[in-house]
Amino acid sequence: MPASLAADDLPERVADGALIAIGGAGLQRKPMSALRALVAAGRRELRVISFLGSLDVELLLAAGAVAELHSAGVSLDAAGLAPHYRDARETGSVSFFEWSEGTLLCALEAAARGVPSLPTWQALATDMPAINPWLREGRDPFTGEPVMNVRALCPDVALLHVPAVDDAGYAYLDGDLAYDGAMARAAGEVIVSYDERRASEPRLAVLSRLWIDATIHAPQGAWPTGCHPLTGVDSASVASWAAAGLDATPALLEPHA
Amino acid sequence: MSAAIADLLTAALAREIATSGVRVFAVTTPATVAAALAARELGVPELALTAGFSALDGAPVPSITRGEGGLLTRGPAFRDDPGDVFVALARGRVGVVATPAQLDVVGHTNLSGIGEPGHPKVALPGARGLPDHCSASRVWYLFATHGPRQLVERVDVVCGAVPPPGALRRLFTPAGCFELGGAGWRALWLTAGGAELVALTPAFGIVLDGDEPVLEAPDEEALAALERVDPHGVRRIEFASGADAAHLWSAAAEREAA
Repeated sequence: MPASLAADDLPERVADGALIAIGGAGLQRKPMSALRALVAAGRRELRVISFLGSLDVELLLAAGAVAELHSAGVSLDAAGLAPHYRDARETGSVSFFEWSEGTLLCALEAAARGVPSLPTWQALATDMPAINPWLREGRDPFTGEPVMNVRALCPDVALLHVPAVDDAGYAYLDGDLAYDGAMARAAGEVIVSYDERRASEPRLAVLSRLWIDATIHAPQGAWPTGCHPLTGVDSASVASWAAAGLDATPALLEPHA
Repeated sequence: MSAAIADLLTAALAREIATSGVRVFAVTTPATVAAALAARELGVPELALTAGFSALDGAPVPSITRGEGGLLTRGPAFRDDPGDVFVALARGRVGVVATPAQLDVVGHTNLSGIGEPGHPKVALPGARGLPDHCSASRVWYLFATHGPRQLVERVDVVCGAVPPPGALRRLFTPAGCFELGGAGWRALWLTAGGAELVALTPAFGIVLDGDEPVLEAPDEEALAALERVDPHGVRRIEFASGADAAHLWSAAAEREAA
């Protein structure tokens, strides 16, 4: 059964330089309270996987906590481009590894299966291997057909947020699971923050307790991103961040701000 | 862009989806969600819409603030493995509507950045799913702005490869609808004023012969379907810019928060 952690316990489990996988997608179910705890603890040189990033990536970049970023895309959806992400890529201030959605999933699946790489047809005939050394075009050993070999991406810790867990530690959500399941299976340790406790119905769970090492009770822990069906995206906060541009600081994402 | 052009293009896309013969469509933006929902009312009620990454058959609503996860807000959907969408793509079962930032004469797409690959002068959101579907799509629709920065001779970064010649490959812009063939993009129809827009993108290589049909008004049946599925016109945000976009965004955000 997963351990129950206090929010303050989280930074101890995420070392400087750790490769962390952040769940959710876009402006949905980002574990923002957990990320704020890492920022408050002064974590540095983090290597971050955010399948589709938004304010999660922005917060960590604004705090100067990121050394390396793996993602298929980062934006603020309709509020526009993500200012710190754009700046980081344009100035080269962090190492950016650009993935496609499919190849990033493949990299996590390789990690979960314990193999060094997996082949796929995705990203063939594109510039992706030229800008991401984790992708390498080759030939299938049986047919000789071109394949894209995708190197395993093995997170040290996955940080996920869901609306609810039950007393046994199963995780529940109604919306899009995104890549949370793949991250949980690939990561060395999985920490799930949640809004509410709910009655146990494992057949309805999206993530088995087998994949979860610890849970943290974090009401509105995804704010200002959404956590369907409990809370929607706080559009005003997203717009404020976008409008502030590079002047946006972590303080702007404090719940009392 | 005017609301009339936005409606014309979205209605045209709805009709295209309805007649494409594909029964699963991947859509993500408000206008493409609205078009696909309207397509259901144009004779294909069984059309499945991929919503987010864990539902090939979702129940989305056109929304601006809920993100892709919110595409499931209308009700529960069968939960697929996130990898299933790529399996379905590889097997040619999914039609795609994509919105690249750059598109070139041979059909390459870019959403990574402007400048040398890996060293963008202007960073765009990122490749997203373009590398995963372009080479596998049987039906491939693109939505793009019609300007010289978007429609170029050669994209700066090849994120998406070109779908095979047997695929349906069509582009919708404020200038009209264009199809990719062996000789590049050709106009299937133009909007009123579309020829002038085409003239602004000489590097993209569209040659008009002067007798292309001009679509003056939206398909009425498709527009009526759009009004039913998207009564607040969320689809128009995608085509707006500046103050218009800001106004539409804040109105939609307020409505969706209520």
